[in-house]
Amino acid sequence: MTTIETPQASPTTDAEKQALLSVRDLGVSFRTEGGEARAVDGVSFDLFPGEVLGIVGESGSGKSVTSLAIMRLIPDPPGKIVSGQIMYGGEDIVQKSYPDMRDVRGNKIAMIFQEPMTALNPVFTVGMQVMETILTHEKVSKSEARDRAVEMLEKVGIPEARKRLKDYPHQFSGGMRQRVMIALALVCHPNILIADEPTTALDVTTQAQILELMLDLKSQKEDSSIILITHDLAVVAETCQRVIVMYGGKIQEVGTVEQIFTDPKHPYTKGLLASLPSTSEAKQKRLYTIPGNVPALHEMPEGCKFCTRCSEVVDRCHSEEPPVHQLDSGQLVRCHLFEEEK
Amino acid sequence: MTAYFIRRLLLMIPTFLGVTMIAFMITRFLPGGPLEQELMRFRMAQAESGGGGSSMTQAGGELPQEALDELKKAFDLDKPAPVAYKNWLTRMIFDLDMGNSYKTREKVWDAISARFPISIFFGLTGFVLAYGVSVPLGIAKAIRHSSRFDFISSALVFIGYSIPGWAMGALLLVFFASGQHLDWFPLGGFESNSYDDLPSIVKKWEDIDDVSDDFGSFDREKMSLVSKVVDRIQYSVLPVFCYMIGSFATLTVLMKNSLMDNVGQDYVRTAFAKGLSPRRVIFYHALRNSLIPIATGLGHALSVIMAGSYLIEKVFNIKGIGLLGFNAIVGYDYPLVMGILSINIMLMLFGNILSDFLYALIDPRVRFE
Repeated sequence: MTTIETPQASPTTDAEKQALLSVRDLGVSFRTEGGEARAVDGVSFDLFPGEVLGIVGESGSGKSVTSLAIMRLIPDPPGKIVSGQIMYGGEDIVQKSYPDMRDVRGNKIAMIFQEPMTALNPVFTVGMQVMETILTHEKVSKSEARDRAVEMLEKVGIPEARKRLKDYPHQFSGGMRQRVMIALALVCHPNILIADEPTTALDVTTQAQILELMLDLKSQKEDSSIILITHDLAVVAETCQRVIVMYGGKIQEVGTVEQIFTDPKHPYTKGLLASLPSTSEAKQKRLYTIPGNVPALHEMPEGCKFCTRCSEVVDRCHSEEPPVHQLDSGQLVRCHLFEEEK
Repeated sequence: MTAYFIRRLLLMIPTFLGVTMIAFMITRFLPGGPLEQELMRFRMAQAESGGGGSSMTQAGGELPQEALDELKKAFDLDKPAPVAYKNWLTRMIFDLDMGNSYKTREKVWDAISARFPISIFFGLTGFVLAYGVSVPLGIAKAIRHSSRFDFISSALVFIGYSIPGWAMGALLLVFFASGQHLDWFPLGGFESNSYDDLPSIVKKWEDIDDVSDDFGSFDREKMSLVSKVVDRIQYSVLPVFCYMIGSFATLTVLMKNSLMDNVGQDYVRTAFAKGLSPRRVIFYHALRNSLIPIATGLGHALSVIMAGSYLIEKVFNIKGIGLLGFNAIVGYDYPLVMGILSINIMLMLFGNILSDFLYALIDPRVRFE
């Protein structure tokens, strides 16, 4: 199990490389009518310079909350970061004061969202919204900011960018709006781009273009990284180097794209992959689905979060939360099945 | 867009014609109209002059045919209703003449326009105050949602909303003007009878002795302006408050909900993710959007020209448009009824178009085709 060549394969095989962002034991809770709900529990991972890290999972797995926590955008109330650290540039984002946090947002870490239709303010021009990011973080004149905005909009592939500065979001198509979102996120050259389901709301051809654009822009800035949050495994396969699989607010498996796709360990990851439509198999075969649904946060089982739906479940899964096992390959798996392999 | 507004303006014509035509026809066919009233007056006069003599009553009560025809002619009742409507309409449009009041013989336009200062005063003050208080209050409530301030102000707002203005007026008069509890405000009216002779009234009101002697003739003029303002405020506090409370609640809640709606929108999260300050996110990004439904109501500011609630005016004994209109209706004073109706319709139609125009102006997504 030592066939990994990519340097970013896992945190341990490349310990000498400094992580750009390290999340340690992150916990996020939401106060709900049914009591406190742990949306994210004990999540730890590193993001290395230059890599594209995918976080996959079903709805409610905690992947979006994790990304919002990095930006400190958890709506409070009802949400709250209850534990852990998010280390960036030697400082803990969780402990940062609000003004310090403003300096991070949009400037060092930027984020784009799922819904390009609603993520832009409908009553302000696109130009103003891109310029606003620049003027917030840099001491430049308005005309300079305007030039920068035009340059950025051209970079993301908006034709006649200077003319379109005065247009409002509703005058753009969904794909174009997502390009504008990318422009306003990247215009201050952040180190990290968090993309929360950036292509989910777009049609397939536009999806490919947007992903390509993101990767292209990443390659233009050295050592910048992307955290790509998605439920679409095809997107992960095309773009990411490393993948985190989340379920029930916890990380279930971490590995390189090759490992996850060719040699998945966790029953949940296997289930996800089995659910993908395949061209090689007989057409009449029904598509596999993981039985059951993601339980509501306050109904999560005692032991392993996945035990209610797992095909390889054993007795202890119901009572005992499995620890994370590190395999020889560098893969991390949270499952009792791998205890002996250690 | 221009085409849209031209079309809207042109559409006003049939609307106006339709409304006035229906109202005009109703006035023609309702019993108790001007002719009946004249006859009644004639009979009563006869009965009085007859001194109760039984021989006269039988012969009396009938107006000579010529006189009747003359009366019919005077009221345009000798012509078929459509012709009479056409006459009324052409007179109004081409001669700007809406006829004379049956009751006072006064020109309808004069009777109405004489009330404009009162309407505009109350309408505009109420309007400005309602917006001036509701918008900031709504914003404050949205920002401090679920706080004690929010709950208490909500309670007050809803109490205000559930009490009709005139009922509130009666209550206020009892507590603040009757002298039984407090005597802060006059019992009613629009201004002191001696408004033009102020500041003598100030003496009466506040027991200031020899105001004019103390200040001399030069200061008297100044004082007079100040006391006029004081006088006007004293008379208007209570009625303006009554005018406000209704729209006040609606506006406050609309503003609050609108802002809260917008704060929950995705673009607000984007704005925070850009690193903007909360002040800028809320007061620039979210507020700008949440003012859209508020601002579109501004078109109806036009209606302040004819503002006036009969009941509030009755409670405070203000001779405004509301009272005029009410008396016109109960007194079958049709030219006056039609005059008030026509002006109201015009203001409403223009107000609607103005609202649409404002909507298109502030919301870039709105494009009228």
